[in-house]
Amino acid sequence: MENIDLDTLTPEQINFMLILHSGNARSKIIQAIREYREGNVQEADSLLAQSEEDLKVAHEIHFKMVQKEASGEKVDFALLLMHAEDHLMSTLTMKELVKELLELFKQKNL
Amino acid sequence: MKKILLACSSGMSTSLLVTKMEAHAASIGEEAKIWAVGQDQAKKEMADADVVLIGPQMSFLKGEFQKEAAKYGINVDVIDMMAYGLADGKKAYEQALKLMGDK
Repeated sequence: MENIDLDTLTPEQINFMLILHSGNARSKIIQAIREYREGNVQEADSLLAQSEEDLKVAHEIHFKMVQKEASGEKVDFALLLMHAEDHLMSTLTMKELVKELLELFKQKNL
Repeated sequence: MKKILLACSSGMSTSLLVTKMEAHAASIGEEAKIWAVGQDQAKKEMADADVVLIGPQMSFLKGEFQKEAAKYGINVDVIDMMAYGLADGKKAYEQALKLMGDK
């Protein structure tokens, strides 16, 4: 799903795409913690890196939406958009926290 | 009648997908009971389903859900990325049918 052209998607589909990529990232972040628990540190780090890639895609879509609004095109406010925004923000928060925590655990040999 | 359960963390995005899947099923004259729940209810609700499709946010739970679903002899899979991202009811419905073994 490279170079997504927002103009070919309905607002609903754009929101679903945001949730999709945030959701994929979220899953990988949880899996990273689980892998770390099992002692698979490299796998944990790899999953976190992959989650950052997913979040990057979500961010790019979101950025295009922000640009559209800034250029005067009205964005329809919908519950689904709120939901997508929630997913993106909360997943970004999770990623930041988990990244920091895993480094902390490594340092403490946990 | 086909019974398709969808689950995602809060059940909102999947509820929308449900509407589209229902519309597709109706359009091809098939009877289907399709519903969406949050991940906490999914394990209980799958007792009533022929197949379970889960949202991308829950994909890390696939293994756990498959174990539970095995008790009922049904399959679990993550909703196809393209089907989810494009809110494609037809594609999601077809994925469900395939997982059911076209019963």
